[in-house]
Amino acid sequence: MSRFLIERPLPHGGRLVERVITDKDAAKKMIKGCPSYDIKPTLHFETGVPVRNVYREIMSICYGFFSPVEGSMKQAEVERILKERRLLNEWIFPYPLVFDISEEDYKKLGVGPGDRLVLNLKGKPFAILDIEEVWRIDNPEELAHLTFGTPERNPEVVKQPFDKKHPGWVIYRSLQPVVLAGKYTIINEPKFREPFDRFWFPPRKSREEFDRRGWRTVINHQTRNVPHVGHEFLMKCAAFTGDVEPCHGILVNAVIGVKRRGDYPDEAIVEGHEAVNKGGYIKPQRHMPSIVLWDMRYGNPLESLLHGIIRQNMGCTHHMFGRDHAAVGEYYDKWATQILWTKGIPSYGFPAPPTDVPYGLNIRPQNMREFAYCPTCKEMAYSETCGHKREKLSGSFLRGMVAEGVQPPTIIMRPEVYRVIVKWWKKFGYPFCNENYVINKEKELEVDLEDL
Amino acid sequence: MAEYFMVVLLDDHRMAKIRGTGLEEHIKYMFGGELRLLEVKVTEELKDRILQEFETARVDSRGAITDLPVAFMRELFNQVVEKRSLGPEVVEAVLEKIDQIKEAAKKESEYLPPPELEEEE
Repeated sequence: MSRFLIERPLPHGGRLVERVITDKDAAKKMIKGCPSYDIKPTLHFETGVPVRNVYREIMSICYGFFSPVEGSMKQAEVERILKERRLLNEWIFPYPLVFDISEEDYKKLGVGPGDRLVLNLKGKPFAILDIEEVWRIDNPEELAHLTFGTPERNPEVVKQPFDKKHPGWVIYRSLQPVVLAGKYTIINEPKFREPFDRFWFPPRKSREEFDRRGWRTVINHQTRNVPHVGHEFLMKCAAFTGDVEPCHGILVNAVIGVKRRGDYPDEAIVEGHEAVNKGGYIKPQRHMPSIVLWDMRYGNPLESLLHGIIRQNMGCTHHMFGRDHAAVGEYYDKWATQILWTKGIPSYGFPAPPTDVPYGLNIRPQNMREFAYCPTCKEMAYSETCGHKREKLSGSFLRGMVAEGVQPPTIIMRPEVYRVIVKWWKKFGYPFCNENYVINKEKELEVDLEDL
Repeated sequence: MAEYFMVVLLDDHRMAKIRGTGLEEHIKYMFGGELRLLEVKVTEELKDRILQEFETARVDSRGAITDLPVAFMRELFNQVVEKRSLGPEVVEAVLEKIDQIKEAAKKESEYLPPPELEEEE
């Protein structure tokens, strides 16, 4: 075999975290006599609109997407992350993840270290939290600033101070003051509703699926959008990397979580990507849409670090990163993610790229620039290759077109993808997420639970 | 200073309305001629005002202001036709009707009629 062949990386931290009990009798015994708590969404500190639901973090932790994280973090761990972006066991990790409750709920519960708390979701037992430590967030605004950085502390990439217009900053600013730290275990597996169920490939399952498909090399495409043809070309062309041949597979991993008004509905996003392969633009044998639950923090380079962790855990060998990766507004340099993966960002604790530091990642970045339509080449052309003047394609431009009821030309959006948008438009009465969608989604979530 | 603009998409119905206004010579063609549009100029000050008034509005990588209510975009086209212009005065005229637009936008954020597609599955 060629010495240039790339092998699938081990999970981040060396082993997959799997904390899901499937034996219902065992689960019942585990929770007997334990106090319980109904999971509540995190509400915007000013408007009261849901901005996060911790159930998504519990799912992603217990199914191993966030390996080696196993639960809600202790104070020392959060402090280390904010300083060095490392867990207490040394492995790199970008964000504090905590189970936070109000002082009032804490008093009512009367729990402490050593107690087991049953976490209910939609009125049914869902998971347990074995409490190891109780600590307090004294100043959520400071926590929010420390989480994302400031222009003074992180001058390499942070361009303007974070504020309440940034949805990730708002999540940390809106946290409740009492943190119950300890390991989570899911004791009642939720069932995904359609269409999400067929896209659920947690790390063990995705690795098995890659084996079944004979994929040695897999490149991930991060998405929170319905794909236009520019995305399709990014996927196809980034996949030409690999080892001695192009990547065998393209994993599309859609981040499913709390939505902002104006986003496409999650249902349209996942089925839109599926339409790309159903339409044959990338054949299904080489293309696999999937989901991960996470309320996006929009932390650009920090978010890319989490994405690298998730996709390495899922078994990907490569990760494509583009402009403004997982960004919103102009808080970060638009190439901040690529700077991180090319040379590191010392002020975040990365004097070298996350693949080149101890206890770092083992997934290869594939930094891409942009595709746009070239009227001279008469095709979608790569910005660093094509020498002509090109017509830029932006997702928001397309959204405007869709809202005005104008079907985008095939050269920029495949008709199969547009049909998916219209299908969900008919269902929700609106092509994008409006207030009704956002409120209902956070009420219904993506899953249902059976009785234990 | 950065240059900003707004795009007015032209379907057949709108093409008929601008015929004879002198705006035809400003029509731009994109994506191999498959899309026709006009670009309305927006000053820095007007851009800031739009972003402040409409929370969904954003500036895309081309400098285009997008994600505005459909009611805004409809009025933008009306003003282009009325003023026979693509200058900043068009956006200024639209912003004069901001209360009306916000009222319409409130309703449209609950429901927008989906298009009927010819070849549905």
